[in-house]
Amino acid sequence: MNNTKLTVSHAPFWHDGDSVFQKNLNYMLALLPAALFGIMQFGAPALGVMALSLSFAMFWELVINLVSKKTATIGDLEAAVIGLLFGMMLPAVTPWWLILVGTFVAVFIGKMIFGGIGSSPFNPTLLGMAVLMMSWNMFFDFNTAYVDYDFAFTALAPLTAVKTQGAAAADFFALGDLFLGREVGAIGAVFGLGLVLGGIYLILRGYARWELSVSFIAGILVTAFLFHAASPDAYAGPMFHLLSGYTLLAAFFLITESASSPVNRIPMLLYGFLGGFMIILMRNVGDYADGTILAILLVNVVSPLLDNIRPNALGKGMNNA
Amino acid sequence: MIKRSFFALSKPRLTYDLLEPDPEGPQTIPVPDLITLLLTQAIDNTRPALIKPGDPVKKGQKLALYEDSTAYVVSPVAGTIKSIDTYPDDFGEIGTSIIIAHDPEKISEIAPLELPEDILSADLHLQKLPGAPPFDILADENFKIRTIVITGADTDLLTSTSQYVSTTHARELEEGAAILKRLTGTARICLTLPEGINGQDRFSSLQVLKTSSVYPDTLPAMIMKDHLDTVLPAGKTPEDMGICFIRAEAVVSLAKTYEKKALVFEKHITLVDKAGFRHRIKAVIGTPLSHIFSQLDIQINDQDRIIIGGPLQGSATFTTHHPVTPDTDTVVVQDREILPKISDTPCINCGKCIQICPASIPVNMLVRFLEVDQFEEAADKGDLEACIECGLCGFVCTSQIALGQYIRLGKHELHKLRAEV
Repeated sequence: MNNTKLTVSHAPFWHDGDSVFQKNLNYMLALLPAALFGIMQFGAPALGVMALSLSFAMFWELVINLVSKKTATIGDLEAAVIGLLFGMMLPAVTPWWLILVGTFVAVFIGKMIFGGIGSSPFNPTLLGMAVLMMSWNMFFDFNTAYVDYDFAFTALAPLTAVKTQGAAAADFFALGDLFLGREVGAIGAVFGLGLVLGGIYLILRGYARWELSVSFIAGILVTAFLFHAASPDAYAGPMFHLLSGYTLLAAFFLITESASSPVNRIPMLLYGFLGGFMIILMRNVGDYADGTILAILLVNVVSPLLDNIRPNALGKGMNNA
Repeated sequence: MIKRSFFALSKPRLTYDLLEPDPEGPQTIPVPDLITLLLTQAIDNTRPALIKPGDPVKKGQKLALYEDSTAYVVSPVAGTIKSIDTYPDDFGEIGTSIIIAHDPEKISEIAPLELPEDILSADLHLQKLPGAPPFDILADENFKIRTIVITGADTDLLTSTSQYVSTTHARELEEGAAILKRLTGTARICLTLPEGINGQDRFSSLQVLKTSSVYPDTLPAMIMKDHLDTVLPAGKTPEDMGICFIRAEAVVSLAKTYEKKALVFEKHITLVDKAGFRHRIKAVIGTPLSHIFSQLDIQINDQDRIIIGGPLQGSATFTTHHPVTPDTDTVVVQDREILPKISDTPCINCGKCIQICPASIPVNMLVRFLEVDQFEEAADKGDLEACIECGLCGFVCTSQIALGQYIRLGKHELHKLRAEV
């Protein structure tokens, strides 16, 4: 009798071939148009910031893997996506140490201490950003950041302008300019068109859920519209809010982060809408010019709660006949 | 293997294979020299056994370990018992394997079969017919079986055994159903058939339930929900609800047995080889798979996988000598090169399992409980018992978690926990 050693495992014996690596690779691919535009607009420093951020994020994860004596997990590109997104949310002139600290917070506190991939209750990128913004707020002033640059467009951060000068300041910015990246802002957040294309790509590939993006955009538009309708002098219009700041980056790449967002359809719709609503609330009523980071961190908290709204499982909760 | 499509906006749709319009007959595998029969009872060394190596056996002889054993096997050949050994099943439960050396010279020893006229004696003699009729369930007074569903539609992918047997043996199927009705007194007997299959009109005496081609619509729980207006409560079996599912082949075997007044032993099997080519074969129960592979020139190498059953619900065997059993409908051989990877990456909460689960189970929550052995919580908050084990969550899992394994093990451990209380 020959004794062939067979592979033994449990059903299912098929897999659709998807993996975390594929998912993250596609995320990075989808981020490329906006990132490349950022390099074109802000030059080599932008490339430096993103490259540094991406490599620091992976570096921190590797260090934590080594220290905790676990298998290295940077191969799944999760840290790379965190790092790339992190870099894209910074101004092009960010000093290196800020990136070092920020990515550490994002990867270590945001992700690894909760148990690594999939366990983070908060979006790791945003947690890192929030800490930086609280601690070194001056580096996030997009007006002062780019004083050495010479732009062919209004070099005024749109959201700050509206915050300080009222809704009339929104008229300085043509919507088309905002959409095509003719504005100052974070490296990867200015090119609306690129973000939308990347986002649609991700949604079509099934890596980002349309429910989250669509309801988020609806939340932004509806809330901003109501504010604007109530007082057009005080609050800018819905399209201005949609196209400025981190909004589009958030709509397709931040709100869709899987570990911190719900998975059922109705919760996803509520969560996205709530995210959009909170951002406009913070921008119009709160202190911050762009409330995206804190607003999404805030809705991260309600995600598990929302996910309790789900259909009954088959044959569950019925009186046994 | 079906791969993820490039665009995946909605959940993937897996469809059952429909039987070709004019199916070719099966290739008959010659009876091998050694037959292996699997008995679900473990050997107890302290008790004198009824059978021992060296005993002659007749074709059709019932073999049981002890006087009071309810588990039995039926020898499909005449010969002598070569060895009696133990084997572990999926969950480590020990059973007994009996190897019989086939002696083609001895053919005249078949005792004429007394045809059972009630369900209890059918359970005592016909339980091991090809198709594994669930006579034990039908004979059990605790289940008040009101409806019998004959599954003419296959429940897993790649296979067409049930479709083939039910459409090519329509007459026997109807006769078998009539016998079943007589034995059990069950009022309602239905037959599931895939919509669009040729030969649906061949059944005049049976109520045909047309099943859709979308997986997993032919699984018992889904048939009950879609066609019988009965939702299977979580943790219950169809029998608890008075519904018994029986393979079409079991019904056909029953009819053949009554017609010939002798037991039948040949099992229809769909065998899918490494290249994905489908072989329709007929082999005697107890034939080792290795014998079938050598007949069909299928080379099995180290680390290949042999799946008994379909790709989403079957079970992998650890030995090429695993025999054909009465319930072996499908055998799938996977080359080691194409085996999907399993990883220990935790759940990333992407929600693809939630999207595809036909039982609306929060798989992302469930797996978090199961990973840390919290089985009661898994049942309570993760709806473990509502799982119909279709395997779709594991198929789409981005983290490549062995969800099917977690769930099956979880159910097993849960039953053990509850039995201890």
